[in-house]
Amino acid sequence: MSAHVIKIRNLSKFYGKNMGIENVSLDIERGEIFGFIGPNGAGKSTTIRILMNLVFPSGGTATIMDMDVVKDTRKIKQKVGYIPSDAGMYPSMSVIDFLSYCSRFYGLNNNDNRIIELADMFDLDLQRNIAELSLGNRKKVSIIQGLLHSPELLILDEPTTGLDPLMQSLFFDLLRNENRRGMTIFFSSHILGEVQMLCKRVAIIKNGNIIQVEEIDSLRKKQLKKVFIEFENRESVEDFVINGSGNLVNGLGNTLSFIYSGDINELISSLSGIKIKNLMIEEPLLDEIFLHYYKK
Amino acid sequence: MVVNRNLFNMEIRRNAFSLMIWMIVITLLISVTMSVYRTFADNQSKILGMVSLIPKGALQFKGISNFSDLLSVLGFYAANNVIYMMVLGSIFSIVLSSNILLKEEYNKTAEYLLTRPITRSEVFFSKVILLDLNIFLLNLVTSTAGFLCMELVKRNPFSISAFMVLCFYTFILNVLFGAIGLFLSTLVKRGKPITTQVIGLVLIFYFVFTISKITEGAADLGYLSPFRFADVNATSPYYRLNPWTLLYFLGLSSLLTGISYRIYRRKDIYT
Repeated sequence: MSAHVIKIRNLSKFYGKNMGIENVSLDIERGEIFGFIGPNGAGKSTTIRILMNLVFPSGGTATIMDMDVVKDTRKIKQKVGYIPSDAGMYPSMSVIDFLSYCSRFYGLNNNDNRIIELADMFDLDLQRNIAELSLGNRKKVSIIQGLLHSPELLILDEPTTGLDPLMQSLFFDLLRNENRRGMTIFFSSHILGEVQMLCKRVAIIKNGNIIQVEEIDSLRKKQLKKVFIEFENRESVEDFVINGSGNLVNGLGNTLSFIYSGDINELISSLSGIKIKNLMIEEPLLDEIFLHYYKK
Repeated sequence: MVVNRNLFNMEIRRNAFSLMIWMIVITLLISVTMSVYRTFADNQSKILGMVSLIPKGALQFKGISNFSDLLSVLGFYAANNVIYMMVLGSIFSIVLSSNILLKEEYNKTAEYLLTRPITRSEVFFSKVILLDLNIFLLNLVTSTAGFLCMELVKRNPFSISAFMVLCFYTFILNVLFGAIGLFLSTLVKRGKPITTQVIGLVLIFYFVFTISKITEGAADLGYLSPFRFADVNATSPYYRLNPWTLLYFLGLSSLLTGISYRIYRRKDIYT
């Protein structure tokens, strides 16, 4: 058996003349938590939907556990769990009925113990009707249905939407535990922070193309910061130069903002002789990182 | 195995309430209509005068070749059956079939269903068999109700074989509309309901059929409508199942179902 649980080669999907993804190639190793990040519309969901055989590729191949995602989809899905970003449920069913219905597809006719174990973990009332559930509780149901057959591979598409921070932390702990037991996890998100928290490696996708596949540690070393400075006067804005800054953007009045990748102490030192009104340093958004690295 | 039992059982539960409502409504309509048969038959001379004012074509499109047909219980049932079972039954069939696959897309439940260890073929055939079972059950219950009503109100015996042929025509017409709805639903790219459009389609077909019957020179237009092929002239001594008509209904239904299957097997599902 191959060491790669997911193997994608030159995968493309076109919607008429519009490109969804183009020549995407990726290898996800057995037992790893792999992050898949990119802004909305970058092609993350298209890639995942091809893996789950919801849409068909225009070109290229994808295999899961050495099985073709189109031809062997039934066998693949027996071993794969999928947590979608936003999916509807059958509103007239109770939570337990829905989860039992999902279980039976895997031949698990008496799966109540596993369902109860997961529901307890997420503090979810199994007897409630799905129509009565809040977005957060529906997300919990979605998470449980993806895990109830203890899959070898778990594919998650923006799974944290609607989860409060406490539940998110619990969910990440659960994913780490399942990963320690051998589950491979393919985690798609547009939030860099949560991918950094969970994943070992990450692929960055933009406009349907994989831009970079790298270790999270090496991404962390880049120490990107978003800096916003409000100067006392306009001259200071125009004279300000510092190494490590990209895409300096002049804002309203005497303000300047940029993504900074250098030493933070150097930035502070360079500002020591200049009169400033305000200084803000924060985590950049993923889009801003893209702008910093890939649009230059 | 082509049918997934888990999905099939779920679909039975999901559609049971709607099926029940349709059964009750059509059974009530048939019962109420048949309850006036005796009054109708007992006042032949008065009604004959009134009916003579109705254009012959208007009677023909209800399968009545002459007024005396209406005086027999089977003729009376057949004339009303056109509306209740053929039109309403076809609306039931096309609404159910146009939604049976598509609802998983526009309700966004396809994300769960199609990511289970189940093939597109299993999903398709589980739902198609459920669809045809629903159409069969609706026809069975309403035809049985019609039969019982006729037995209760009849003045003279009626031909059971002719009644069975009429029921069979109704059933295969409903099955064809089921196949049309299924086919149209597979053509929808981004999941959205097409209920209004398919009901409109049944009514347009019925309108075309009506026009072809009551307008001289427009008879050929009727061949565009499936209603034209479902013979309801049950009181005719030559009334029997026409093998060409049977071939038309079953052939077209199978063809549309086959094309729908091919499309659905390779359809991109968006939610």
